[in-house]
Amino acid sequence: MPASTQSPTISVTYSAGGRLGLEAEASDADVVRAVLAGDIDRYAVLVRRYRDRYARYAARMLGSRDVAEDAVQDALVRAFDRLADCRDPNKFAGWLFLILRNRCFAERRRRQRERPLGPGDDGLAAPDRPDGAYDRLERQTALERSLGHLTAEQREVFVLKHVEGMAYEEIAQITGATVASLKMRMHRAYDRLRDLMKGHL
Amino acid sequence: MAGYHPLVKQVLDGELSLADLPRDLRAEGEEAVRLIQAADHSPVTLSPAVEQRVMAAVRAHASSPARRAWRWLHAPRDVELRVRVRPWVVWSGALAVAAALAILFMRPSASPTPSTQLASRDSVFVRFVLYAPGARRVAVAGTFNQWDQGAAPLVPAGTSGVWTTTLALPVGQHQYAFVVDGERWVVDPAAPSVDDGFGRRNSLVSVARGTHIL
Amino acid sequence: MSRVRVFLELVLVAALPGALAAQGVATRLDGRVPPQVRQAVVKIAADAAARGLPVDPLWEKAIEGGAKGVPADRVIAAVRALAGRMGDAMTALREGGVSAPTGDVVEGGADAINAGLSNHDVQDLVRASRPPYDPALTLRVAATLGALGVPANQVLQLVEAMISAGRSPGDLMGLPAEVESGISHGATPAQAAAGLTRAAAAGRPPVPPGQAKSGKPVNPHRP
Repeated sequence: MPASTQSPTISVTYSAGGRLGLEAEASDADVVRAVLAGDIDRYAVLVRRYRDRYARYAARMLGSRDVAEDAVQDALVRAFDRLADCRDPNKFAGWLFLILRNRCFAERRRRQRERPLGPGDDGLAAPDRPDGAYDRLERQTALERSLGHLTAEQREVFVLKHVEGMAYEEIAQITGATVASLKMRMHRAYDRLRDLMKGHL
Repeated sequence: MAGYHPLVKQVLDGELSLADLPRDLRAEGEEAVRLIQAADHSPVTLSPAVEQRVMAAVRAHASSPARRAWRWLHAPRDVELRVRVRPWVVWSGALAVAAALAILFMRPSASPTPSTQLASRDSVFVRFVLYAPGARRVAVAGTFNQWDQGAAPLVPAGTSGVWTTTLALPVGQHQYAFVVDGERWVVDPAAPSVDDGFGRRNSLVSVARGTHIL
Repeated sequence: MSRVRVFLELVLVAALPGALAAQGVATRLDGRVPPQVRQAVVKIAADAAARGLPVDPLWEKAIEGGAKGVPADRVIAAVRALAGRMGDAMTALREGGVSAPTGDVVEGGADAINAGLSNHDVQDLVRASRPPYDPALTLRVAATLGALGVPANQVLQLVEAMISAGRSPGDLMGLPAEVESGISHGATPAQAAAGLTRAAAAGRPPVPPGQAKSGKPVNPHRP
């Protein structure tokens, strides 16, 4: 800590203020059009709007808030670079989600290459507890680790259904898979998770 | 271990209720529901710095092709090449690197389209903030910029007294301090600090792939 | 930082042995430190290089002193002290079983010593850092924990507990943030570290005080 007795200087986390008022009313399509017309700074509106929208999805897909932050940032920048390719500016949200989704899948593939998860990884064996009672946090951590052992597609359908609360029909629209194949994927995931969570339930 | 019974899976899918299950499947159903309920639904909030970082990259990407090439040349990953070159570096290795640099230096327009990544694989954006009301100028100096006060000035962030800047730092650990009005060296109270060997202290920032840790 | 200069530095450093290399790279100090400092640091650096120690941190420390307007003799003393810490680290590393430590590991050891750990602590940490644990990372984490105010013996206990518990290197890297979180919730650095040590030893994931996760349970009957 500085020993000086001069005027205090402290470090704070500070969120930069933007233009207020009108920007809260502008639709995604309006903002996209403005940015494409050259008003680069308006893109910040979309960044603020969507910074957290898909953060949970990314975090549960990638297993870490920090890695998710990286992925969301990358997706937002990529969305800017490809903005002219966004066929329907009104559907910016869904289009951004697809970019993020691709980024998440790519990240998983990259991690699999660098450090493929083996069956013995992560020490999923349940700790020895005489009364057999496991608190919520332990189960939650065990589930998070177990999700890491599913395929990317299985993990995604689980996250979209049981974390984001979407219906199979909505998931089908996003992923392009049929409801029938999604259910098959999910049911395999349930069985795999039951095996991985042995002793934690 | 056997998988869940199809009826139990229908409960998990929301198509059947627990009460609909036959008695002998009730326990299995409850176990399955416990599994699903263990999922972490807590909302995830990312750092407010995300906006700063994305807009910094967006503005860089938005400039003209020639300027983009110029920026790519000066991308932070060059710093990685400069430091930590030991005296026993193999001659041919150094030559290859030096040759590559020479080519880049002489023909900037021939460089490939800059990557659309937020920062290079070897560096991460880190935001520095200092509350210094009454300061006329503030800079951050550290091992990442040769302790040069002129290299990284902070700018007023809008709210009176707050100064900020965002820098792309290479992966690794760095020491730094703020310089107020060109003469007052101030540590970052929010960061761990170490003895600088001169009777003052330096702040520490650790940068890892994909994140920064203060 | 001109690109031509980078070109030259790489060529110089690669081509010339020991003392001459030190002379070449010392051009970095021109205009930044007085000539007597430059002269002294070149000698210290050449000597360090001969012992296999990294020299970059020595240049950086000299440049830092120059930038901060520190008197010449103080700069020289600080550079000499840094070389000394790196030498101690090198010895500790060799005795810990690392025969050819990389520059990163030596610097990490020097940082750990600067943060209050003993040569013996450095040795213990290095011995504990078998693959997949990289000693450079372990030492860097230990140094940061020390910089946060965690007493040296507790730094050792915490890091060793995490390694024994088989926690990932990523979890190790997250320790300073966990300690800071504990501090922000009112614990002293020592208390925060002690809590994390207990959690690691018990095989539980560390949860900073006051931050037990809670989430809304999902209704499986939702359509």
